[in-house]
Amino acid sequence: MKSSSVLKKFLLLILLLTFCFLAGILLGSVPLSPKSVLRCLTGLDKDTTAYILINTVRLPRAVGACLAGMGLSTAGVILQSVMNNSLASPNTIGVNSGAGFAVMLSLMFGGSRTLGIPVAAFIGSLIATLTIYGLAYMADSSRTTIILAGITISSFLNAGINTIKLIDTDITINLTTFMIGSLSGLTFELLRFPATAILAALILSFLFARSINVLCLGDETARSLGLHVASVRLILLILSSILSGCAVSYAGLLSFVGLIIPHICRRLFGNDARYLLPCSALLGASFVLICDTLGRVLFAPFELPAGVLLSFIGGPFFLYLLFQKKGGRRINA
Amino acid sequence: MLEFCHVNISCSFVPILHDISVRFQKGEITTIIGPNGCGKTTLLQCLNGSSKVTAGSIYLDNTDYLALSLRERARKLSFLPQVRTIIPTLPVKTLVEHGRFPHLGFARRKTQKDVKIVESAMNFTQVSPYAAQYADTLSGGIRQRAFFAMTLAQNCDYVVLDEPTTYLDLNAQQSFMDMLLQLKEQGKTIILVLHDIGQALRISDTLVIMQDRKIAAIATPEACLQQHIIEAVFDVHIKKFSDEEGNYYFFS
Repeated sequence: MKSSSVLKKFLLLILLLTFCFLAGILLGSVPLSPKSVLRCLTGLDKDTTAYILINTVRLPRAVGACLAGMGLSTAGVILQSVMNNSLASPNTIGVNSGAGFAVMLSLMFGGSRTLGIPVAAFIGSLIATLTIYGLAYMADSSRTTIILAGITISSFLNAGINTIKLIDTDITINLTTFMIGSLSGLTFELLRFPATAILAALILSFLFARSINVLCLGDETARSLGLHVASVRLILLILSSILSGCAVSYAGLLSFVGLIIPHICRRLFGNDARYLLPCSALLGASFVLICDTLGRVLFAPFELPAGVLLSFIGGPFFLYLLFQKKGGRRINA
Repeated sequence: MLEFCHVNISCSFVPILHDISVRFQKGEITTIIGPNGCGKTTLLQCLNGSSKVTAGSIYLDNTDYLALSLRERARKLSFLPQVRTIIPTLPVKTLVEHGRFPHLGFARRKTQKDVKIVESAMNFTQVSPYAAQYADTLSGGIRQRAFFAMTLAQNCDYVVLDEPTTYLDLNAQQSFMDMLLQLKEQGKTIILVLHDIGQALRISDTLVIMQDRKIAAIATPEACLQQHIIEAVFDVHIKKFSDEEGNYYFFS
């Protein structure tokens, strides 16, 4: 791909994200004028309701949506590459459910929402990832088997989530919205730790882009090119667990982002991870922002959780992609 | 010179080869031949860490090869594996550029030198016209040349090829052999596994014949023929014909 055309697409994605981000702040049950938003963001108005609304509700929410989208889609790209399986994503191989289960467990034992829960979510998603990867590696299973195993583990863990909620009625989290994924009620305090972790993991993953490319050539070729396959794979699995675990810790089980965004980007930008990773992050962030904003606006003052819209928009779109496979360039699998 | 000294090799913790010693001379084409399952691939795979050396040592130009990291190895010795279950959906040029991976670090970016090496590797294997095409859309022969270009882009003195011609048609096999002879003239040391004994006899300086996970013989093609080693190992009869273009071998 020519670098100029990549740059153009890249700039378009940045523009799209900026637009979505601004829309996320401007739109909502109480519409704000661009002028008042600008005054608030630059700190000119500090006592108006608009300022409070933006700083305590909309800004953290937009930032949260942005990072959740980035984290989950980047984790999707990484998992697809590491497992050499185009169906892998935090959702399909049970990583999100692992994080979700850990979140519920940690809530049951009174984990703090600012630090304890994100860390638990990371550990949960890492255990789920390693389990699936271990199964795939040891049994030398086919790609379909891995996905089936992932779905099984997912449903097992989801049953666990439901059980915890039934046993411990004191848990303050709204189970339905958590299972679907929602950014409602997000504050900067809740976001501080997971946001930092996601940002750090994003930067590290981008540094591994070239290694991801080499890994996609298959283990033996990668080794011949001097890549220490086992350790790079472990690092990447840990990074993807941080990304998806931290996103799930505050946004719930947002589905689909991690599966469809990488695929859309593969079609738009090809399979070179150096472009694929940043573009997936940008598009994923835009997608979650759009869904969250629409969810707040469509039936205002009632809110539709972002996860609902993700499935409504993402589902049919992904089906479309799957079944027009023959016409377009094949998805790498 | 690449030298295996009393090496034991295991594959996924199963011991395969025991007490193997063999030397691959610098600047020569050495071909390993032998019946299926005799351990040819396993012997070479320890070079890129896909099989494990459990005892003995390997020296590359008198340095301890096994003490090198995989990246350092990939700068001295390039290896084209036999099996490719994964065909990347990447343009040929991007694929060939992967050959520069061992020379690039986190910080070091592609320089003019890297671009030149990639270009000359693509010209050498004649895949330049397909630079922008996706590897998964190409025919087996061109794809194999693209992977070969990637291996050459590593720009190593030692080139190891595991059955590079197995899935190629006759014409493509012939041009592949020509490329190997040209590489030898450029001063590269080539080590390869072949199943076509006729080809092995024609292009090799030395033959390493393996049988039952042991090295049965190491000799020049002429000596192999005179001593009827190949005939014994493969249980065939060889007839040799010569004309002005070279030697031809028939097996029965």
